[in-house]
Amino acid sequence: MRITKRAATVALLTAATVALTGCSAAGGGTTGGDDAAACEPAEGKVDLTFTSWIPGIEDVVDVWNKANPDIQVAVQTGPNGNGGTYANFFNQLEAGNAPDLGQIEYDALPNFRVQDGLMNLASCDGVLDAKADFVDWTWGQVSFNEDDSVYAIPQDSGPMAMFYRADLFEANGIAIPTTWDEFATAAEQVRATGSYITNFSQSDINQFAGLVWQAGGTWFGNDGTDWNVDLTGDESIKVADYWQDLIDRDLVSTQPPWTTEWDNAYNTGAAWTWNSAAWGANSIASGAPDTAGKWAVAASPQWEAGDEASGNWGGSSTAVFTGSKHPYEAAQFALWLNSSSESLTMLNESANLYPAAKDGLDLPVLKEGVEFYGDQPIYDVFAKASGEVSSDFVWGPTMTQTYNDVSDGFKAAVSGNGTLAEALTTGQSATIKALQAQSIPVKE
Amino acid sequence: MSAPALPVADARSAARRSPAARPRKIKVAHPRAIAIFIVPFAVLFTLFYLIPIGYAIYQSLLVVERDGTFGKATQVFGGLTQYIAVFQNGPFWESIGRVLAFGVVQVPVMLGLALLFALLLDSPLLRGKRFFRLAFFVPYAVPGVIAAIMWGFLYSPNLSPFTALTSNVSFLSADLVLWAIANVVTWVYVGYNMLIIYSALLAIPTEIYEAARLDGAGQLRIAWSIKIPLIMPAIVLTGIFSIIGTLQLLAEPQVFRTFSSAVTSTFTPNLMVYSTSSIPNVSLAAAFSVVLALATFVLSFSFLKFTQRKEGK
Repeated sequence: MRITKRAATVALLTAATVALTGCSAAGGGTTGGDDAAACEPAEGKVDLTFTSWIPGIEDVVDVWNKANPDIQVAVQTGPNGNGGTYANFFNQLEAGNAPDLGQIEYDALPNFRVQDGLMNLASCDGVLDAKADFVDWTWGQVSFNEDDSVYAIPQDSGPMAMFYRADLFEANGIAIPTTWDEFATAAEQVRATGSYITNFSQSDINQFAGLVWQAGGTWFGNDGTDWNVDLTGDESIKVADYWQDLIDRDLVSTQPPWTTEWDNAYNTGAAWTWNSAAWGANSIASGAPDTAGKWAVAASPQWEAGDEASGNWGGSSTAVFTGSKHPYEAAQFALWLNSSSESLTMLNESANLYPAAKDGLDLPVLKEGVEFYGDQPIYDVFAKASGEVSSDFVWGPTMTQTYNDVSDGFKAAVSGNGTLAEALTTGQSATIKALQAQSIPVKE
Repeated sequence: MSAPALPVADARSAARRSPAARPRKIKVAHPRAIAIFIVPFAVLFTLFYLIPIGYAIYQSLLVVERDGTFGKATQVFGGLTQYIAVFQNGPFWESIGRVLAFGVVQVPVMLGLALLFALLLDSPLLRGKRFFRLAFFVPYAVPGVIAAIMWGFLYSPNLSPFTALTSNVSFLSADLVLWAIANVVTWVYVGYNMLIIYSALLAIPTEIYEAARLDGAGQLRIAWSIKIPLIMPAIVLTGIFSIIGTLQLLAEPQVFRTFSSAVTSTFTPNLMVYSTSSIPNVSLAAAFSVVLALATFVLSFSFLKFTQRKEGK
């Protein structure tokens, strides 16, 4: 009896001690994100770790490893960012064992910076000079439009356009919509054939953000002292009301996206268009293999006839995490990965990535016709769209939470409870609360 | 009823009495041997049980402070701030209400089926027992996530092999999805609970049945008056496991989030913890976890007390 009691006391004490030392170690590990002080090359061989979810990234890294015996990169792949990899990154940062490099989409960069997870690479050799090599708005995203900051190297962008079933539109004599009004009219005509013009995604809130982006809205602002949350601006409500109307009239389907059911709808011709980004070319080809050759790409429908505005959906960067012992080597790898024509060609071939590097836009592979799209040189459309993306769109510091809350509301709306605009209002107040809970200064 | 229950009650009261009856000073034989046997357990228990719990409690008492829009975060002691946030969080309590409604319906149905199957396997009337024992248990061998994906496909309106049914009844709608998940959980765990109850049935001495038959009891009467009372402890045990499992639902609703518009990021308490920790707001997530653990403890403990009092009567 007494022995067990003593053992329990010892166990508890040990537990407390270990817990406390654990905490102080973690506390000490989270320093040094903002100081861009030392970025010096290391002596001897350096091993780096890199986590990504891009299909075929292993082969690209192999090419680097063969050419750079002194900087060896070990790549690990996982689910896409919001699908679990970001949660892993945050846990790894908390535990002090994050990889050296990680794949991070632009919309998640503020979240990682707020959590002190990113290293400022501005003082690393060649990084600031690379600014001119990348499409302006992508550099704006990784530098937060600050002069001495570079928190990641842009990899690809996701200028949006409209993928459509050229064969079905032609066979049914429906004109390809160039404005959102025409899109709604076409939606009625398509519905008359028994199909849907497209599927409204209840959980791709970043796609919805892309549509708001195209309409000229922005969701966040940061004046240096306070964040401003504006999910319910005029442009956002305009876009929300537009899609709400299509949902109410049963002109768009509302299946959960990225499911087999959703693939199936595209594969069987039950859905005809998808307003998506350049990388979406890969998703259709793999999700709807029976429709090869029947798709084409057109510029996004515009709000006013004659406008030339595009939104952006996704696109990501390569960041170096706080705690990396070799930021110099990591930055060199990230620059090569995202600006060498060798790497960008491979990434485009394996994952349809559309480069953020200006030179990358002229790669021969981006000038060729793509077989799945009836040999249309589809990247010409995206190249034009890329130039039309506004650089004013700012992402918030808790996007995972914002996406979750807005998506909960969108899910309710497509089930008939509430509207998309109400979901944005709920998302707005939930986001403000989430910021306050983390003492992030925010205007109410 | 009271006759077969007696030995159990006797043993229990004997156990309760024994420490007081013995002299206070016990000379422990082989203290080193005991230590050697206990240490491996104690180390693992401490590392993977006590420390994580202690760390979660510690974490739940912290709040974040920072200045500027990208200011560095410092964690400082915040007392019960996070707990106040937990109690003010509407969606969290809605999710608790949801899993309680789930448990009130699903646990009795599941345990009722498990008991029925166990009694059938134990009765001399049924043939092919080995086959049925395996058949009922097989779903438990399917990992929970795989089971959820499989049922998700079965429920999907256009993919299901039963489109005639699924295109008319929307199993993934807000009204039905909770019960669609309940069906998955029941399908997986009936066999597991059945096996626990069945092994308790096997432990009943056959003389009791003989005596009952001599007294003229039929199979139904034996099941009702002898078997069920004797295996009550096993049923209570499966009940507690099920209550804990219900409050901790995560894998099934997480999988169903991709299939259904009705499953939100705050559908069950554990999903809420998961979404909160991926913001990342670890302190609030830790506070949710601690409250959830306490709620689970209170519920299981009251269930135990309640059933014991009934048994004692």
